[in-house]
Amino acid sequence: MKVLAYGEIMDGGISVFSSVAKVDADLLIVSFGGSIRIDNPYKHLEQYLVELEQLVPEEKIGRIEFDFKELDFCNSNGFYIIMDISEMIIDATDGPINIKRLKDDDWQQETLPILLNVDEPEIEARTTFEEFATI
Amino acid sequence: MVTQEDLATTNISMRYDLSPIRNIIGDLSGLLGNFSDELIGAFYAKTVSKKANIVITELVNNAVVNSTDRDGKIILEIVIEKNNLRIRVANAANRSQYRKVRDHIRMINSTGDLRKLMADTIRERRKDRLRGGLGLIRLAAENKFTLSARYRAPFLIVDSQINLGGLS
Repeated sequence: MKVLAYGEIMDGGISVFSSVAKVDADLLIVSFGGSIRIDNPYKHLEQYLVELEQLVPEEKIGRIEFDFKELDFCNSNGFYIIMDISEMIIDATDGPINIKRLKDDDWQQETLPILLNVDEPEIEARTTFEEFATI
Repeated sequence: MVTQEDLATTNISMRYDLSPIRNIIGDLSGLLGNFSDELIGAFYAKTVSKKANIVITELVNNAVVNSTDRDGKIILEIVIEKNNLRIRVANAANRSQYRKVRDHIRMINSTGDLRKLMADTIRERRKDRLRGGLGLIRLAAENKFTLSARYRAPFLIVDSQINLGGLS
C-alpha cells in the first residue's frame, strides 16, 4: 500500500482534521478523520486537492473506498471540500464505491449521500454503504 | 443501580452570556458545542449529544458573525427536560435581519421534502462557492429539529427543539 496524498487542517498548532489517500493494488482508499470546524477549509486543503487531481489519474483504480468513520464533525463550510474530493475520485473510475460510515451520525446518514451525489443513478448503482457503530 | 434509561431522564439546563462579542476571537461555537456534547453525552446517547453539538455550533456561529452590536452579548440556553431538547441562541440584530431569518425558517418549515431542499440548496450554493445559508436547513433536514424565530428588541432569538423519544 502506498500513500498518494495527505491533507490536514491545523488549528492552534494541532492537527484537527486529516485526510489520506492510499492505493492498495487497484483499490483507492480515502479516509477522513477529526473535525472540520473552520470557516475556510480550502485555505488548508487546496494543495491536497491539487495533488489528488495530479496523482489519482496516474493510478489504475478499479475500486474506491471512502472511510468517514473517524470524521467526528463537519460544519456546513466543510461540505464543498468533501464534495470536491469525492467527486474527483469518483470520476476517476467506473468501479464499485464502498462507503464506511457511522450508523448513528446524522450528518453521515442524511447529508453525506447528498455530498457524494448518490442520488445520481450511475453513482447509486455502484455505491455500497457499510455501517459501523460509534465506539 | 442507575440504568441507561434512568440517565436519559436527567434534566439539564445551561445558560451562557458572553460579551462583548468583539472579544470572541477563537472558535467559541466549537468550544460550546464540544463541551455540551461531552456533558449531555454523560447522560444521553451519543446521537443526542451530537445533535446538540451541531445545533450549538451552527447557531452560535451565526450569532457571532451576524450580531449587529459588537459590544453586545450573545446568549446560549440549552435545556433538556421532559424528553425535549431545546437550544436557544440570541444576539443583537435589526428588524431586517430578523425578518430575513423568520422568512427563511418559514420556508424551511413549510417545505415538504427537506432532504430535497437540502440537496438543491447545497448544489446551488456550491456553484458560486457561497458560504453560509445551509446551517438552518441542515438543522431541520439532517438533525430533525423544529425551528422558530422571534424578535425582542434588540435581540433576534432562534429556538430549535426536538423530542428525544426514541433517540435516547
